[in-house]
Amino acid sequence: MIKFEHVGLRYGVGPEVLSDINFTLEPGSFHFLTGPSGAGKTSLMTLMYLGRKPTRGLVSMFEQNINDMSRAQLGALRQKIGVVFQEFRLLPHLSAFDNVALPMRITGHSESEVKSNVDELLEWVGLGDYKNALPLTLSGGQQQRVAIARAVIARPKLLLADEPTGNLDDDIGFRLMHLFEQLNRMGTTIVIATHSQYIMERFGHPRLVLEDGRLYMHDNANWVQKNIEGVY
Amino acid sequence: MKAFSLLPLTFSRNRKLGVGERKGGYDLPLHKSAGSHFLVLLVGLMSFLAMMALSATMVLGGVTQHWSSGLKNKVTIEIPAQKPGGLLRSAAEIKELALSVEALLKANPNIKALHILEENDIHDLVSPWLGDDVVLDELPLPGLVSAELHVRDKDKLESIGKALTEIASDIRLDTHESWLEDILRLAGTLKLSTLIVTLIIGATTIVAIAGAIRSRMAEHKADIELLHLMGASDLYITKQLQRHAVVLTLKGALIGVLSGLVILLMLSAFGGSGEGATIPGMHLSASQIIILLLLPGLIALIASQTARVTVLRVLGQMP
Repeated sequence: MIKFEHVGLRYGVGPEVLSDINFTLEPGSFHFLTGPSGAGKTSLMTLMYLGRKPTRGLVSMFEQNINDMSRAQLGALRQKIGVVFQEFRLLPHLSAFDNVALPMRITGHSESEVKSNVDELLEWVGLGDYKNALPLTLSGGQQQRVAIARAVIARPKLLLADEPTGNLDDDIGFRLMHLFEQLNRMGTTIVIATHSQYIMERFGHPRLVLEDGRLYMHDNANWVQKNIEGVY
Repeated sequence: MKAFSLLPLTFSRNRKLGVGERKGGYDLPLHKSAGSHFLVLLVGLMSFLAMMALSATMVLGGVTQHWSSGLKNKVTIEIPAQKPGGLLRSAAEIKELALSVEALLKANPNIKALHILEENDIHDLVSPWLGDDVVLDELPLPGLVSAELHVRDKDKLESIGKALTEIASDIRLDTHESWLEDILRLAGTLKLSTLIVTLIIGATTIVAIAGAIRSRMAEHKADIELLHLMGASDLYITKQLQRHAVVLTLKGALIGVLSGLVILLMLSAFGGSGEGATIPGMHLSASQIIILLLLPGLIALIASQTARVTVLRVLGQMP
């Protein structure tokens, strides 16, 4: 599903924010991505949702090397990826309904399909009464639910979520985590970037740990050191 | 659902405040973009100028056609009122010479029509230049014979001129070439100038539309990036900006062209010349008006293609 080989990323002429990243995520897997602030989680997520190309190394997504792909092919690949951004990135002039509908409209679904699916999902995330509301009139938690609904509406093959439960109370946070698990059971590969030890321990999925731009894996039983020894 | 029923805000479709509406199928808030009115105004002015320049080209084309078709195959034979020795010819002498000329030309197969101008005709020709106060009966006036040719051929004209000098050495054949060529050249230059002005207006409009589109894209950069990251194809994004550009330019072009048409109709009504005037008025044929009315469509098409190229070029810089 996702394969990173000796991947490095730097912005401009600055230092590498990600160094020699190696990992493989199997289809249908569920991982947490964690690490201290500034470790490079968002940069790694950006590479995974094809927001950037790596400065070095190979990235394969859905068994295809992204360096060999045209812009049109990359676009088609992005349609298979749902992203929940840390800062939500909702379009402020569009209603909650239209924000959630975007991925379906982009992939050319009919308006009747869009309406039934979006209405159902907004009801499910508890925003049925807010479908015509603009994002700025919604609370942080409600905006986050709109962002999550938008990420999952097109049933992506890969779901990337950057701190998706950060603004939510535990109850709604768990409910959304259960939604992610449900999607995972239906075959969606999931990577969730989070700081919450509680969430990670409660749901118990393997972790990708980033520190100083390097990646380590933890399978809940053992640390699998990928780059250097003795960090944990 | 019940857990959320106590939330403080409720929204209904009828409440505008805080309610989002997706206008015209746009994901981007293009209808709210700053500078839309300016673009409409600019395109309106450019369309007005293009319309005036194009109609000037058409009118000049008409003038050229009028002059060249009116004089192309015509010549005038002038029998001077004064003999080479300085003595004046009498009216009877002039009439006699005119009849000789008529007889000579009638025998020429290249002459299609022939007309000896009567005294009154000549008075009508010179009176606008001399004014009403001059008593024309007392002025020595030349005799004039107008002839229409089947074919304007230089050699044939030379032989006619030579034959005329055998009737009287000072009889002149005026082929109108010298001043007609000058005036047609001037008209041609003016036509070319108005066409160049039209092209410059077109180029300015393209630059203005491309600038406006780039500015819209900069204004909504984050939103466009988001659509791109969601997998929106370049065409999906381009279509929205293309449609936006077409709507704005169509509005501006319609305003400009309709204003131009009103001005042209006024010029045509108040500044028109009468039948047989040397310079025709600002008259456009129905087909020319239809061509001018197609101008908004053409401008919208240019805007659409300009927007498309601009957007695709900017999107091409995204990964």
